[in-house]
Amino acid sequence: MTEYVDAGHAVDWGTLSGVPGSAPPVARNVDYQRILQARSTEPQNWLTYFGAYDGQRYSLLDQINTDNVRRLTPAWVFQCGPAGLQAGGSTYAFEATPIVVDGIMYVTGWDGWVWALNAVTGQELWRYHHATPFDTSLCCGNVNRGVAVAQGKVFVVSPNAHVLALDAETGKCVWDRTNGDVRAGESATLAPLVIKDKVIVGSAGGEFGVRGHLDAYDLETGEHAWRTYTIPKPGEPGSETWPADGEQWARGGGNPWITPTYDPELNLLYTGTGNPAPDFDGDVRPGDNLYTDSCIAVNPDNGALVWHYQHNPHDLWDYDSISENILFDQGGRKFLGHFNKNGYGYVLDRTNGEVERVFPFVDRIDWGEIDSKGQITVKKYPDKEGEPVHFYPGPGGGKEWTHAAYSPRTELFYVPVQDVGATATRRRREFKEGIPYWGAGVAVDSEGMAGCISAFDPATGREVWRWRNEVPMCASVLATAGDLVFAGEPTGEFNALNARTGELLWQFQCGSGHHSSPMTYSAGGRQYVAVPSGWGGWIEGFAPGMLAGTHGAALFAFALPE
Amino acid sequence: MATPTDDRSQLVSKLGLDRQNGAALGRVLATGNIGEAEEGPDGRMRATIRIKPDELVYDPSVLILPHGGDLDIEIINDDLNTHCALFPSNGDSQFIWLVNHSRGTASINLDGPGYYWYSSPTGNDEGRGLTGAIVVLGEVPPEARLDRPQQPRP
Repeated sequence: MTEYVDAGHAVDWGTLSGVPGSAPPVARNVDYQRILQARSTEPQNWLTYFGAYDGQRYSLLDQINTDNVRRLTPAWVFQCGPAGLQAGGSTYAFEATPIVVDGIMYVTGWDGWVWALNAVTGQELWRYHHATPFDTSLCCGNVNRGVAVAQGKVFVVSPNAHVLALDAETGKCVWDRTNGDVRAGESATLAPLVIKDKVIVGSAGGEFGVRGHLDAYDLETGEHAWRTYTIPKPGEPGSETWPADGEQWARGGGNPWITPTYDPELNLLYTGTGNPAPDFDGDVRPGDNLYTDSCIAVNPDNGALVWHYQHNPHDLWDYDSISENILFDQGGRKFLGHFNKNGYGYVLDRTNGEVERVFPFVDRIDWGEIDSKGQITVKKYPDKEGEPVHFYPGPGGGKEWTHAAYSPRTELFYVPVQDVGATATRRRREFKEGIPYWGAGVAVDSEGMAGCISAFDPATGREVWRWRNEVPMCASVLATAGDLVFAGEPTGEFNALNARTGELLWQFQCGSGHHSSPMTYSAGGRQYVAVPSGWGGWIEGFAPGMLAGTHGAALFAFALPE
Repeated sequence: MATPTDDRSQLVSKLGLDRQNGAALGRVLATGNIGEAEEGPDGRMRATIRIKPDELVYDPSVLILPHGGDLDIEIINDDLNTHCALFPSNGDSQFIWLVNHSRGTASINLDGPGYYWYSSPTGNDEGRGLTGAIVVLGEVPPEARLDRPQQPRP
């Protein structure tokens, strides 16, 4: 036999892609001060997950407006298909919000992907891929919602619960910390948030009976700064809301799996927490189960919990309260707006968590009723073993994680609404680490779905207009100073609505459904609206009638013709 | 009817699940050998993977690592056809082209625990059998574990 041919040493897969492997140093000077003023002083950029710390998902850009949006056209498309087998190959979704800094876009995919793109041309500049175990516990699909950018670094979490800092110019890893225990069923999906010298992240895995936590790391070194558990240990404040005997607190869930908002004047971080575990079997965890299904206000310097408001004490319907807490001011007062899975919108005083107003935002609510001051009357829940109980909204919620927007111009909230019911049948089970811990069999209605984009006046809770859809609206909304509201549909259409009337002004079929967050930016004097399109995630939970919707993975950037 | 574990390998062979153009068109995934990586004094791990003639299977097809970290692989194509390997690795996957009767190396980094697939992304090598698994044993670092009493596992 002849000698073996020398095949050499394996190379980075990305070197065989035409990708240059470097991006301009635009992120070096992004710091806390710039992020503080993100909307007002540099509206051309989208510097942080919600566009600004207040979570309004509102942009001052108005080149694209109600008069000309009909001429909007694709400027470029970025696509990425996987090679080989990946975790959740049937459930991945393109859920991210892109970040843009001075013409460079940083965006995540699923399965550990991070890309830097030229925001004018769509050219890929570098890529990072964190190898994800095929057997990672992912309750709701292989997803990630984006990055944070500061001081020359790109911060991202991986499906196997790592927190990474990448060099923003090369995509190479600068530091890597393990933030969760994959053997316990923990994972991570949210976009990190940079505040001062720290990067804030939350854990995921509430369907596996973990103990939720919010963490902060030094953004330069990766040194762990603090951890705040969302479920108190015995003896800690709030522990009286858990059974005194047993270890239900240790598997209580409450994961803060969506990026917080932040008020710099109050120095308070507002984060929502997820469902208690087991989701539907409340008998094993009598009590209110703090701090699950809550908005918690946290000091970002040390993780101290300052106040809390629990939307769903002793949740029995999987009504996570993780969705955004939008900060807005009216009449000289500091408020916080939140649209809960339970079908109700909340306006809280964000200085102390006191209720200002509660109002329904979805048509069909029959699990219970909440009055305008937050008083709850429970009507039905899966309380008997083996007995099916149907309720509205289903566990996907009247709105899931996908974000509402608030326009200071119109003083209205814009809400993506899912009107879907479900049947849960309680089935008690023992807890085993790493195994789903729901306590019920659940089938969400695949027929009789409805959805809409609704505009609400936070001063009254009144619905001002509604744009109706035949299927639920399962993607975040973007509001702009052009008096436009952008919203994607599960069937692939990307829509522009008149922010004052709800009239549909423009539509583009992206080829795959929307379960992500559109954003806008400007480069070279041209405004773009970007949206990831790639249907997936926990579809069986929020829109099972669209379970077979076409998969995809494309990022579209739209602009007016030059 | 379920098959006792002890009889599984015999049944796989009897049915022809572990060869080309036997029971199926190709070789059913993960029906190859299981091997363990060696760990050096510096903590780096080493393994050799071969592609056997006319079998379209990596040998071992399931490679066990005692923990996460760096792994150096020698990969040898003993087959009479050209294949390749795309290994998972933090940062970027590692690719090597393997013409007939060739030998090369790859260095990868993986977290633990969990398992990862690698494959030969050419034609349908992956479906015919050239898809292997790397299993990483162990626990996450102590600082990443939840502050709670030891919990029962399956």
